[in-house]
Amino acid sequence: MSTTSFTMLLPTPRPRVIPLSLFSGKVAAGFPSPADDFVEKSLDLNELLVQKPAATFFVRAQGESMLGAGIHPNDILIVDRSIDPVPGKIVICALNGELTVKRLERDNGLWQLKAENPAYPDIVIHEELEMVIWGVVTNVIHPL
Amino acid sequence: MQPLLALVDCDAFYVSCERVFRPDLIGKPVAVLSNNDGCVVARSQEIKKLGVKMGVPVFQIQHLVKQHNIQLLSSNFSLYADLSARVMTILEEFAPRLELYSIDEAFLDLTGVCQQDPIAYGHRIKKSVVRATGIPVCVGMGPTKTLAKLANFAAKKWKKTGGVLDLSDPVSREKLMRIVPVGEVWGIGSHTTAKLNQIGIHTVWDLATQPSQRMKTQLTIMVARTVMELNGIPCLELEEIAPNKQQIVCSRSFSRRLTEYRELSEALAEFCSRATEKLRRQQSVTDCITVFIRTNPFNPQEPQYQPAASIKLDAVTQDTRTIIATANRLLRGIFKTGYGYHKCGVQLSNIQPESSPGQMELFDFVDNGLPTENRQLMKVVDQINRRFPKSVSVAASGFDKSWKAKADRVSPHYTTDWRELVSVKCG
Repeated sequence: MSTTSFTMLLPTPRPRVIPLSLFSGKVAAGFPSPADDFVEKSLDLNELLVQKPAATFFVRAQGESMLGAGIHPNDILIVDRSIDPVPGKIVICALNGELTVKRLERDNGLWQLKAENPAYPDIVIHEELEMVIWGVVTNVIHPL
Repeated sequence: MQPLLALVDCDAFYVSCERVFRPDLIGKPVAVLSNNDGCVVARSQEIKKLGVKMGVPVFQIQHLVKQHNIQLLSSNFSLYADLSARVMTILEEFAPRLELYSIDEAFLDLTGVCQQDPIAYGHRIKKSVVRATGIPVCVGMGPTKTLAKLANFAAKKWKKTGGVLDLSDPVSREKLMRIVPVGEVWGIGSHTTAKLNQIGIHTVWDLATQPSQRMKTQLTIMVARTVMELNGIPCLELEEIAPNKQQIVCSRSFSRRLTEYRELSEALAEFCSRATEKLRRQQSVTDCITVFIRTNPFNPQEPQYQPAASIKLDAVTQDTRTIIATANRLLRGIFKTGYGYHKCGVQLSNIQPESSPGQMELFDFVDNGLPTENRQLMKVVDQINRRFPKSVSVAASGFDKSWKAKADRVSPHYTTDWRELVSVKCG
């Protein structure tokens, strides 16, 4: 990881709007496109994917235990820390000091952290386990 | 209706920021270092318990670092700025008016917002901030800023407050004030504390029960105001808009001694660019520029030289090129070979609001050998740099940045660089 230089970047809480035009005409040098009159709205991916910017973080997945949930190695996960971690949600938890992705479940009164890949074991949450829910995964960005 | 102000203060902010992405650091002794990795600027609770004081040079605690496996981290300001903005955004949801007091503190005006149960409201604030951002905070409340500050101090110090304390009630106020030393009061520095102690004022209660007139004559008007504030009479307004800076200073220490004029001149050009960018951001102009260079005063074996030079320009400017050219002239006047320079910087003063661009043209005929003021050009440069940080710079700042401050232990820019996102384990 390159960590040598000090770069001051703009903070993300107020997301930078990157307008993608719904219609875009080719620009003939100097002449306005006849389609310009029809441009009504620009689409902003933040609007679709980020409900609460101040609580939203991007993280990168490593490993294959969540393949069944559509999370592949190197995918970017969108995590909202303000959402309630209810059973069924895919969560990021700090498990023994390590940020880990699991599906939170509740079976027969027991809270469990489940993998979405039969090759990985499920974890039953008990008192001695050092576990804190970090956030709830809302979307996966997976390049094709 | 009695006013109610809250001071929300993040716990060991820089350390907390690092821990959000490094849960393995929770419960361990962690210290964040100043620019150039010189001294300790933020301490976790565990470090404070080891007796490490704020600002101590790292070399003085080397033995503790080994012994207790202290985690040392360089400052990661882009991370701290990002998390700070997030904390402030959450706080805005709780109060109609808010003052950003520092990177990790804000005053909230809660007058009429939660008169029923301020403590419960404080706990809601605390819970929301830590939930959304991972940053733990304490909430101090009272009818004045000074009391809110004092409440915050107590909320941090005494665990049984649960991190939230309201000093609106004079009875609980008195109980606290009788046991807290006067030096803990906001605005009472070590100098004033010594003076107060001399005239028999030791606790906050001693100060609060003084006639404010006496404080005004024997000490300063600020102390008199503090007395009023401690008695619940507001004297300090909430400042919603930060006042524009009267002076802008941009300076750094170098990772190694610089001896060449060229190196200093390049570093100086970069500081000029940053200072001028700040100047433009607050829509101001300057006509007074100071340049200083320093050898390291902490190394008395080296020959010492700490000169500075200032100039007042004929016309005001906010053009990076003018500032750099002027700073260079000043540098040429004070630079001497034979010294190892450890720090340099530029200060812009006599800062004034910018006039309309048209007015500038009047001064265009001034033949001072400096580039013609070009505000449009500077505006474009700022716009590009805001979008693509650091992409446009004045060539004078050079390309070899080996003088840059040391930051060997900086954590990734988790929230501001796509290439440095935190990894989460699927395993």
